[in-house]
Amino acid sequence: MTLFWLSVGFGFVTASVLAIAAVGLSLQFGITNYINFAYGDFMALGAYFTYVFNAEFFHWNVWIATVCGSLLMGVLAVIINHLLFSRFARRFSKTFYVMIVTFGLSLIILNVVYSIWGPDVRAYAMPIERVVRIGPFLLTRDQLLVMAISVVVMVGVAVMLKTTRLGKSMRAMSDNTTLAMTSGIDTRRITTITWFLSGTLSGLAGAVLGISEGNITPAAGELFLFVIFAAVIVGGVGSIYGAMAGAVIIGMATEISAAFIDPAYKLDVAFVILILTLLFRPNGLFSRPKG
Amino acid sequence: MPVLTAENVTAGYGRTPIINDISLSVDAGAVTTIIGPNGAGKSTFAKTVVGILRATNGRITLGDQDITRMPPHQMPRHGLVYVPQNDNVFKTLTVRENLDVGGYASKGDTAARMEYVLSIFKDLSKATEKRAGNLSGGQQNLLAIARALMVEPTVIVLDEPTAGLSPAYTDVVWNQIEGIAQTGTGVLVVEQNVERALKHATFVHIFVAGSNHVHGTAADIASLDLAAIFLGRAGADH
Repeated sequence: MTLFWLSVGFGFVTASVLAIAAVGLSLQFGITNYINFAYGDFMALGAYFTYVFNAEFFHWNVWIATVCGSLLMGVLAVIINHLLFSRFARRFSKTFYVMIVTFGLSLIILNVVYSIWGPDVRAYAMPIERVVRIGPFLLTRDQLLVMAISVVVMVGVAVMLKTTRLGKSMRAMSDNTTLAMTSGIDTRRITTITWFLSGTLSGLAGAVLGISEGNITPAAGELFLFVIFAAVIVGGVGSIYGAMAGAVIIGMATEISAAFIDPAYKLDVAFVILILTLLFRPNGLFSRPKG
Repeated sequence: MPVLTAENVTAGYGRTPIINDISLSVDAGAVTTIIGPNGAGKSTFAKTVVGILRATNGRITLGDQDITRMPPHQMPRHGLVYVPQNDNVFKTLTVRENLDVGGYASKGDTAARMEYVLSIFKDLSKATEKRAGNLSGGQQNLLAIARALMVEPTVIVLDEPTAGLSPAYTDVVWNQIEGIAQTGTGVLVVEQNVERALKHATFVHIFVAGSNHVHGTAADIASLDLAAIFLGRAGADH
């Protein structure tokens, strides 16, 4: 029973990281309508930017470094969209071509990260944390902070989407881009802001993944990308709230299964859930039809 | 007095022009309709006026302002709004949120404007928290018009606002359109139903094969052999 509760605790941590990443991916997908296969590499870049601020050059506190690394990734995402994705999106009406470009960019970023930081495992400069017992859970203070950040991000995104002008414009554009444009919404501006938010959240997810796992590697984001896809699809593609729920389901399932089966099968468990969802509820568990 | 003027406008998709050399004006407080056979370029013209399609030739002015090259998202801010034929509401947003979004281009008090708009569209005022996708087709069309009215438009362009509606709802929608014109707004309606267009419009334009073939007052147009005009067998001295 102890093992079960321990794994539930880890499940919350994984779900927290996953939720940040999945919401960032969903925000961008909802607006641009194509999947960014470089998203995992955005996460890795964000993690390495944080590493630069925290351990390599500036030696800032890891949480300050995380904020700076995430924002830097947000700015880079805007530049990448401006110089690359938006040009292809304008030229080709089929999003398939843009997805191929994102796939190509993924390989480029991965190799750039390898060439700059090498293949070795790196770690943030952080003090060794004592484990805290909260009810049946055993967690470090940093893991608790990761969960708190995730909750703040989820609530913040939900409130932004529901109540602010930016959020409603994003939802309107996600629903019908042409109608949004003719209703007076500057769709280019909203797209740029969305890339910034998506890039920032990818960077944040990469950094908190590194903090919770205790290390960063160039391919960590790519491996995690498949779990993010599973969370997004299980929740319902394009649904932000679905992405949050999907993250909790996949995060819990992978960690609990790791405790009782074998950690090596974590990804397999995520994909079994994904396949079952696609078989029995192809639009995802929490998607709502448009009308 | 014309509030919207198109002069010798040519436009289309890619390099193929669909409409050629079209001139037309919309007066303040009047309903102007465009009728014509399928493929005549009626909707293409409407999309060109509101900036979704770029005119390759000609000039479009809103009042004194040249809007030929204006991006579509800036049109509502200048008082030109558009209600497309299909997918004309944000289906995943509530009725209130649809109106909110419509008001983003407004310079005035949007809360007061929403209250005013909902007072006109009584059906919608009872369903403000309902998702637009769950409304009936007629209610969705009314919501689309209501959303367009959130900016106090100078000109409203409606593309087949009664397509697929029951006769009862068609009356409701046309009554609203006439009401909008009575407030001084210029109304341009693309309409398939000739009878309705002639009944409610002040001015009528008949498009045939991408040209503004015949135009005149509704009474003048009603006296013509429309079947022959639609088939391209006859023109008129209007």
